[in-house]
Amino acid sequence: MFLTLKLLSNRHPSFIARTVFVKNNNVDDACRLLNRILGKEGILEQFRLTRYYEKHLQTRRRINHEKCKAIYNEDMERKIKFVLRKNRHEPFPGCH
Amino acid sequence: MLTAIKNTLRIPVINLGRLFQTSAPIATEKFVHKRIPQDDEGVQGEKIIDLDSVLKSKQSLFPTLESDNLLFDGMPYNQLPICNIRVTHNNTIFTMTDAAGIVKLIRSCGMEGFKNTKKGTNIAAQTTAISIATKAIDRGVKTIRVRVRGLGPGRLAAVKGLQMGGLQIVSVTDNTHVSWNPPRPRKARRL
Repeated sequence: MFLTLKLLSNRHPSFIARTVFVKNNNVDDACRLLNRILGKEGILEQFRLTRYYEKHLQTRRRINHEKCKAIYNEDMERKIKFVLRKNRHEPFPGCH
Repeated sequence: MLTAIKNTLRIPVINLGRLFQTSAPIATEKFVHKRIPQDDEGVQGEKIIDLDSVLKSKQSLFPTLESDNLLFDGMPYNQLPICNIRVTHNNTIFTMTDAAGIVKLIRSCGMEGFKNTKKGTNIAAQTTAISIATKAIDRGVKTIRVRVRGLGPGRLAAVKGLQMGGLQIVSVTDNTHVSWNPPRPRKARRL
């Protein structure tokens, strides 16, 4: 409830979101953690995309490329998993 | 008794007769469920992504409702002076404000004597940060919270430089303006 009240009084309270405390005077670690969070949440990507106007052709091309990459990555991950699989219930498959 | 010993001896004798095998051994082994590992949860670095484990283990890294009143150097967190850093590709601007946001000090890479493209380097940001830190210490500021806005080469160097200048940084906040439904941005650069 207190949080709601706080948000009602100020729509964008600072020093709540996207904030990392520095532990043991280790600023580098805090910055890295913050950057990683920003990257993972897609904030940096959105910032980069909205810096300049993206024409529709470019949007289409980017999205198609992302789709292809996702499919390729999924397949490759499955392949790698298959090659590296362990704990086979038959130790020498196809040998008899 | 003797037969028992015989029985135990028989197996190695048979094996001696077949020193090498001509065909691959037939899989007679039964399926053992124990050999398949359980789905593990919470083992670091195996299936859980690194970031999640950090978030799980170090809850104190992030502010909560109570953290506003935490004492740092005898001052509650929300009364600490703020250092705003505006990072762009071409420059880095530092402003020291008090908790209410009233500007006390302002310093930029251009003011520091860097000109043109040199303003937008990390070295420029670091030296500017050190100079503003020394100025702030002269005015009696020791512990600050940092708020960074924008992306650029000086982003990391700026925060680091403040620490090198002798200020104690309590927290680092990102305040980059990002919108998911922005007005139309300027046209793209032609390269």
